[in-house]
Amino acid sequence: MAVVEPFAGSRPMEANRFSPYSDNGGTVVAIAGEDFSVIGSDTRLTVGYAINTREQSKLFRLSDKTVLGSCGCWCDVLTLTRVLTARLQMYNHEHQKVMSTPAVAQLLSTMLYYKRFFPYYVSNILAGLDAEGKGAVYHYDPVGHYERNHYYAGGASSALLQPFLDNQVGLKNMTNATKEPITRERAVAIIKDAFISAAEREIHTGDAVMISIIDKNGIKEERFSLRKD
Amino acid sequence: MASVLCPEVTPPGFSFENHQRNAFLVKKGFPAPKATKTGTTIVGAVFRDGVVLGADTRATENTIVASKNCQKIHYMAPNMYCCGAGTAADTEFTTAAISSQLELHRLNTGRVVPVVTANMMLRQMLFRYQGHIGAALILGGVDNAGPHLYNIYPHGSSDNLPYCTMGSGSLAAMAVFESRWKPNMSEEEAKVLVRDAVAAGVFNDLASGNNIDVCVLKKGTVDFIRPYQVANEKGQRINTYKYKKGTTVVLNQRVIPIVVEEEVVRKVPGPDSEESMDTS
Amino acid sequence: MFLTRSEYDRGVNTFSPEGRLFQVEYAIEAIKLGSTAIGICTPEGVVLAVEKRITSPLMEPSTIEKIVEVDKHIGCAVSGLIADSRTMVDRARMECQNHWFSYNEKMSVESVAQAVSNLAIQFGDSDEDGGAMSRPFGVAILFAGCDEKGPQLFHMDPSGTFVQFDAKAIGSGSEGAQQSLQEQYHKSMTLKEALTASLTILKQVMEEKLSSTNVEVVTVTPEKFFHMYSKEEVEEVIKDIS
Repeated sequence: MAVVEPFAGSRPMEANRFSPYSDNGGTVVAIAGEDFSVIGSDTRLTVGYAINTREQSKLFRLSDKTVLGSCGCWCDVLTLTRVLTARLQMYNHEHQKVMSTPAVAQLLSTMLYYKRFFPYYVSNILAGLDAEGKGAVYHYDPVGHYERNHYYAGGASSALLQPFLDNQVGLKNMTNATKEPITRERAVAIIKDAFISAAEREIHTGDAVMISIIDKNGIKEERFSLRKD
Repeated sequence: MASVLCPEVTPPGFSFENHQRNAFLVKKGFPAPKATKTGTTIVGAVFRDGVVLGADTRATENTIVASKNCQKIHYMAPNMYCCGAGTAADTEFTTAAISSQLELHRLNTGRVVPVVTANMMLRQMLFRYQGHIGAALILGGVDNAGPHLYNIYPHGSSDNLPYCTMGSGSLAAMAVFESRWKPNMSEEEAKVLVRDAVAAGVFNDLASGNNIDVCVLKKGTVDFIRPYQVANEKGQRINTYKYKKGTTVVLNQRVIPIVVEEEVVRKVPGPDSEESMDTS
Repeated sequence: MFLTRSEYDRGVNTFSPEGRLFQVEYAIEAIKLGSTAIGICTPEGVVLAVEKRITSPLMEPSTIEKIVEVDKHIGCAVSGLIADSRTMVDRARMECQNHWFSYNEKMSVESVAQAVSNLAIQFGDSDEDGGAMSRPFGVAILFAGCDEKGPQLFHMDPSGTFVQFDAKAIGSGSEGAQQSLQEQYHKSMTLKEALTASLTILKQVMEEKLSSTNVEVVTVTPEKFFHMYSKEEVEEVIKDIS
């Protein structure tokens, strides 16, 4: 729009203040089963109304039984995951073993709280298998609060998807629901459907989904296309 | 004196009676509700025989898609259409208000209304409101002097151009026009170019999306194609989400029987009955 | 002891021409003066037993603490300069808590030994902080614990070297005690057998008569973790040995 500034420097100082954070969108969904975990993220990276890339998975493979899904301020995601993998490697060398999923969960929380007053602007979901081989999903707030869940949705479309998961995975608000453990096929299908629906109504979610299925045999990856507008 | 039976006739124009109260509420930390933005890609291009207008069909409320198939190409007059970007309500009411004035103008003058006339009327209205009416418009039409295309900004400034783009996807769309628009294109060429320009916005601007509408205006004819193209197919869901009967909790139940007090049978005369309706 | 005593036996920063660090070797000699401590690792758990030297009848024996809890699942027995051992035990405890804080899991016995070893070899460090140590710790330690690998026993000497053992004796009576351990130890020992064996051997090498006041006994098991034996419990074990 053609606008003529009345005179130079007429804007208030606040308008020019540097902001260290940016919101790069992205959505992560995870479901834990009896002996497996499934975690998916979209691959769109945005800033404002623009798309930075359509091919950036937000899943980070930390070990053969742990995957971290991380979105929000992408530069913070990059730094956090790099420091985290370094810490994992150091643990590996110091203790001669691979860190368990619950230990990674605690470590991530400690790392986030360490930056309590200049937080990593990141929404984290950790999926994997615990020491007993059971599926585990942990979710975090930016400053290190964390909780273990059976399923969780985080990121741009979390408000759209969490009620859906509550109903379809948590079997909430239904009188005649039969509570039986979720199958791997159903968990994957629900994650795909969730992203299809999110891409319909949330502008920062789209392009494709990367899905990681974690079980005792390792991690299998899958890609699934979404709408691109 | 105003009363329920005889309400006071509201003065014409906008009502500002809540302005002071709302400003006070904002100061107290109660923000005003957000209006729906079209968050749009709208384009227009002149070709050999007329004008082609194009628009996407997404409306957004912040990051949520409010409408997947809204119409952003508005009717102005039989020979004129207008694309609108910005605050959805503003674009709709502005074009409708000017459209009704154009129709009155046509009835008064009895000739095809020139596109400049509509342009001036839109500008004057927008200027009067000093940009508070958030409507960014692309006005296209064909009159006796030939095809015309105008770009109109919310503050009332305007350009007469051979091709133009507006809205949040305008940069993406303009990139297509700048590289491929040329004078004296055929109708089919122009339609494809306009589609490609809108598609650039649809795919690269998050606030634009869903379908692409195209409107071709030539002397004496209007070809409004909606949708011209479904740019993105909706994903196929794997599961079905039908609930079994009885899923919702019935907290209590009450049956109120309908008491039939009286039964009346009235014979309605058919069209060819002797007892025809009195239409005098 | 050493035929070639020279100026090389003073600094901890200087190797002798033969490639030896005399101060470290002297420290290893020093721990042979300490009271005897025995550790036996069995599939059911680990036993630690130490003698308390009561040098005066006016001494309060319960204030001599030679077996301490490091974490719920790890204990350690020390011999040598007890004051030095306090620093090392503090470090071990701190590392365990840190590990729990960071990872929400129990620290492994080996990792604790490694962490304490890192402290033990800081002698001779002369950084600007002024936090440097002037000599090696004069302490031998037995780490006993139960982690995800099961019951484990580690021994560490003043040089910071730590090695895993099935059974180990440290202190003044260690040579004789180690010989006896070699004879008596077998892989399928029960905890009870280990208890009696440790006290029997301790009895052999102690100068004083073994009683419930001059020994300290601890077991670390996967079920009860660190457990310090009370006077009565010790007497119960002593009864069984002739």
